[in-house]
Amino acid sequence: MTGYIIRRLGEAIIVTLGVTMITFALLHLLPGNLAHDVLGPRASPQELAQFTQQNGLNRPIYVQYWLFLEKLLHGNLGYSYQYNRSVDSLLASELPRDLVLGGLSLIFALLIAIPVGVAQAVRRNGVLDYTSTGVSFLLYSMPQYAIALLLIQFLSISFHVLPAEAPQSSSALGMLAHPAGLVLPVASLTLVTFAQFSRYMRSSAIDTLAQDYIRTARAKGLSERLVLWRHLLRNSLVTVVTLVGLSIPLVITGTLIIEQVFNFPGAGLEYLQATLSNDYEVMLGITVLVGVVTVLGNLVADIGYAILDPRIRY
Amino acid sequence: MQKLARHGVAASAAVLVMVLAAACGSSSSSSGNSSGSSAASASASLPTNGAGLTQPTTPAGTRLSGGTVFFTEGPDAAPNYIFPMYSPQVCSTANNNQLEYMMYRPLYWYGNNYRPNIDYDYSIGEQPQFSDGNKTVTIKLNSWKWSNGEPVTSRDLVFWMNMMKASPATEWCGYVPGYFPDNVASYSAPDPQTFVLHFTKDYNPTWVTYDELSQLTPIPLAWDRTSLSQPAPTSDNGHLPDTTKAGAAAVYKFLDGEAKKPGSWATSPLWQVVDGPFHLQSFTTAGEATLVPNPDYSGSPKATISKLVELPFTSETAIYNQLRSAGPSSLTVANLPSQYAPQISALEAIGYTDNKAASYSFNYFPLNLHNPKVGPIFSQMYFRQAFQHLLDQQGWIKAFLTDTAIPTCGPVPDAPPSSLVSAASISFTPCAFSTSAAQQLLSSHGWKVVPGGTTTCQNPSLCGAGITQGEGISFTLDYESGVVSVQNEMNDLAAQAKKVGININLTTHPFGTVISTAVACQPSQPTCKWQAENWGAGWIYGPSYLPTGEQLFAPGAVANYGSYNDASTTQLISEVTVASNETQELDAYAQNVSQRVPVVFQPTSIGTYQGDAGTLVAKNLGGYAANALGLMNPEDWYFTR
Amino acid sequence: MRSSIPGSGTENAPAEAGDRKPVDVDVLPEGGEVAATGNPWAVVARTFAQNRLAMFGVGVVVVVTLFSFIGPLFHPTDQLNPNLLEVHLPPGGGHLLGTDSQGFDILGRLMEGGKSSIEVGLAVGIIATLIGLIYGAVSGFFGGAVDGVLMRVVDVGYAIPVVFLFIFMSQLVTPSLTLLIALLVAVSWLIPARLVRGETLSLRTREYVQAVQVMGGRSWRIILRHIVPNTIGTIMVTVTFQVANAILTLAVLQYLGFGLPPSTPTWGGMLSEGTTYLQDGYWWQVYPPLFIIVITVVAFNFIGDALQDAFDVRLQER
Repeated sequence: MTGYIIRRLGEAIIVTLGVTMITFALLHLLPGNLAHDVLGPRASPQELAQFTQQNGLNRPIYVQYWLFLEKLLHGNLGYSYQYNRSVDSLLASELPRDLVLGGLSLIFALLIAIPVGVAQAVRRNGVLDYTSTGVSFLLYSMPQYAIALLLIQFLSISFHVLPAEAPQSSSALGMLAHPAGLVLPVASLTLVTFAQFSRYMRSSAIDTLAQDYIRTARAKGLSERLVLWRHLLRNSLVTVVTLVGLSIPLVITGTLIIEQVFNFPGAGLEYLQATLSNDYEVMLGITVLVGVVTVLGNLVADIGYAILDPRIRY
Repeated sequence: MQKLARHGVAASAAVLVMVLAAACGSSSSSSGNSSGSSAASASASLPTNGAGLTQPTTPAGTRLSGGTVFFTEGPDAAPNYIFPMYSPQVCSTANNNQLEYMMYRPLYWYGNNYRPNIDYDYSIGEQPQFSDGNKTVTIKLNSWKWSNGEPVTSRDLVFWMNMMKASPATEWCGYVPGYFPDNVASYSAPDPQTFVLHFTKDYNPTWVTYDELSQLTPIPLAWDRTSLSQPAPTSDNGHLPDTTKAGAAAVYKFLDGEAKKPGSWATSPLWQVVDGPFHLQSFTTAGEATLVPNPDYSGSPKATISKLVELPFTSETAIYNQLRSAGPSSLTVANLPSQYAPQISALEAIGYTDNKAASYSFNYFPLNLHNPKVGPIFSQMYFRQAFQHLLDQQGWIKAFLTDTAIPTCGPVPDAPPSSLVSAASISFTPCAFSTSAAQQLLSSHGWKVVPGGTTTCQNPSLCGAGITQGEGISFTLDYESGVVSVQNEMNDLAAQAKKVGININLTTHPFGTVISTAVACQPSQPTCKWQAENWGAGWIYGPSYLPTGEQLFAPGAVANYGSYNDASTTQLISEVTVASNETQELDAYAQNVSQRVPVVFQPTSIGTYQGDAGTLVAKNLGGYAANALGLMNPEDWYFTR
Repeated sequence: MRSSIPGSGTENAPAEAGDRKPVDVDVLPEGGEVAATGNPWAVVARTFAQNRLAMFGVGVVVVVTLFSFIGPLFHPTDQLNPNLLEVHLPPGGGHLLGTDSQGFDILGRLMEGGKSSIEVGLAVGIIATLIGLIYGAVSGFFGGAVDGVLMRVVDVGYAIPVVFLFIFMSQLVTPSLTLLIALLVAVSWLIPARLVRGETLSLRTREYVQAVQVMGGRSWRIILRHIVPNTIGTIMVTVTFQVANAILTLAVLQYLGFGLPPSTPTWGGMLSEGTTYLQDGYWWQVYPPLFIIVITVVAFNFIGDALQDAFDVRLQER
């Protein structure tokens, strides 16, 4: 087991390096001149030259990449020209908010999806199954921004039930202190995620139910409830672990549209804006972060499998 | 001031100053709108609603003291700089109009009551006195104080000038080579209340007042140091750092660096020294700024509201949603994006008034006359005139902009009405939308026009230099993405162009990319590949408040992106700055530019930002009056019940 | 950006754990066990046809395809030249679904938009799955270091945010339909690759495969003739989900501004523009494109889901 973790960690590092390399290379293919973008079109040639010199922009790309890695290893994610702040400080203020939003919707999605998925599997092809399938697919097939805007239109504007803005607090606790403002953004995210999750749960539960040991348990006379709780659920948790692992990086980048619609400046929107204003270091910094988090998410999921299912051997 | 961004975020500084001076700097009296040319007033009929335009709002009810005003920053346009000597890359409305000017008042104030005129009541300086053939300007200062007890003196202006002179090109957004501060031969502070400037040339006084003196802001001696650990000077001891050129450059560098740390603004000993009606209480990482009244403000009136909160927004949708769902108690003053113009009545029903007030600006996009491929065609005046005829401005205003803009045919704005402008200078002939006129111009210059196909040059001697036999007209027009009205307009333009055989290839990029692509260049340079770039906005005048052309249309000018070079225009531009009869010279200049179409003019919006349908003001906010130049005077505002 | 997770399948679980879905069955009798209940394809088809949602889905796909490709023959409209006098017209009198902000007929525009959506969807679904199929089969079959390297590449692909890639590409070049398809394929092939690799890992331990190997069968031959056909179930399911995702992703990209040029009629562009005017009451610009996007995506999802069930059922009947 330990050997497995070490091996996976090693792979994780390689993958992260790969991500940074590709991102770095792609960014340097972009047209436009960083010095030009930062200093503006009015800058004199001397200024441009000075900036280029100072930031090593005229050195070969692998040298620049090496410098970038060095900075990264010292925890320096770069500097934002648009906001005149370090990327670290930007993320420090935005990530907790994203975590609240993403975390809450993940929790709710799981809380709804697991029982619904299991119920669908147990009563397969029944009315509940068809209805839930229909609703899930419907939600899953709508563009996220459409759901969000429709929710706002009906619940904020036509009927002033809920605010149209997410809480504007800079801290996670501050956000939690305004639950009314969290309802619509979290709902928009949850509606879509729970649809995906319940599909997973359903098919996973169906598969598990077909396994021999379930038949054995039933044959032994175990109550249906015990069968479900003890055997089915635990074995289906593997699916859940997969989903959670996959959802973690989405907390940062997948909330982009929600952020824009609900006036909620988070890392996703930050990323988009950085791209639009050629704020390279922010783009790089966030991409690296997403890469690391994705890999970690997979790692956590893999370790979770190993814990849950002793049959898994590496 | 600069390329007016859709959201007021500008990238470069180009102040188009147009001087229309009737008399010697009269203050706020207006000779009324363009009564002369009826054609102009017909086309320039700015839809108005009356309230809060030329007179401050006066809602019924008892006047309250206190209250918080919530104000919308433009989408993605939070302030990122606080030092009043803003350089080109931090030159934006969000920074100066909405932040710096409320804390650090410039020497002179302009634009009150929706007239682009100087207002001495709100200025630190009194009316400037010209002598020595207009070469010497003497300015007397009112008795103001800084919040740390220092008096505002002429030494503060010397401090400003010292730093400006050190390296204006990199430090100052309003810089034009050859003009301020290059044209200042010397300056001095003979006594604390008097500041004297000696110009190198005998300029026209109104031009100087509106264009050059507007670039002065007194700054406290407490800033005259090179690090925070040094003690803050409280008075002039004769050898403060700014007195040497190297020292001034060092002080600038220090202040510039500190200005770029938003996290420190609210607590920094530097930025808390203010002379304006407000000072900064807090600034969040998301860009929300909270300003509170400065009890030591020497001007008047003093602010009666207790707080001014500037709110950041991620998108126009978010602004609108908040307006509709939360209403005037959460947003007191908000700019309304033009796609929501049909909602104005619904918004008025919940307690807003819509102020359709334009800022002194005009909207256009440049063609690259130096592009190696199509530059020769663009350099032909007849082509540009023909192309201008393809813009159905009236049609666009009705269909895409819901009547929230006015047609533009020249560099002098139709609105707000200005006493400095003569009727003849305003876009007097709505550039007629006429595909037949365009066709006529092309065919009379050697082109065989093939509607729906490709128009080709049959007679190169008539077509113009550099155009070959059989050459067609096709180019790429790149426009700002994310704005539906711009997208629709460009689509229509391409369709109209096709009708006279001009093939336009439309591409779209983010605002930032578009403005950094449109640069002046030489045909052989790789930066000269662009052919036409439309960032969907135009120019707002400031900090030079008269619209003249030295920054836009003179060869080599910093904002002459298309490399336009016409001797007649150039001649008129320089004559305007020194003319004795400003009105006449300005008329000639404006008509010249309108006729020669150096850039493609497009409809100019009503509102502080291009693409806005006006500013929404809560009905219970009194004292609000639109400023012609987009400046703000929240010290005038008050709530009523 | 929604992650493109198909309706089920645990493509992220390590294959050694054994797929949660028992799809490791020998479909073709070539050298393997004989299927117990007659022609397995008939079973699949029968189960599929019994699924009402799936039939509904098929019906919708057929209707939408006809609507998009044949429709314009019956309802020709000008989608190139804006008509400034007819902007924002509500449904009625010559415009069944009204007009949009440029005066284009919405019904006609939906038809034109359908062409690009369906073309992109199908192209991406099929191509991405094909690439993933080969890649995954090779990786799973050879295993060891080859598998390690190939799968790490997949990991890297997963870790790069999709939005980033699209934004980046749109800055370089104005996207054409082909380029867009290429990009969508580039982000979509990862999932089929993982899925097929997982299946291949278990398939290669089958006795008949080992038998062929012992007999000296060439690797490529084994892959093509034994591995790939046994993953057909997964493939078919994946294709349909990929198509659904591609259509949806395209719609989202239009909203963000990184898809096809805005003047091109697309469902996503229409929806995105419509939401700008949602508040102004121009409902006919919002709900028709929304409806057609949703119903098309739902249809493909129903089909994919039913296929999945059908292949599962085949297994159950064993």
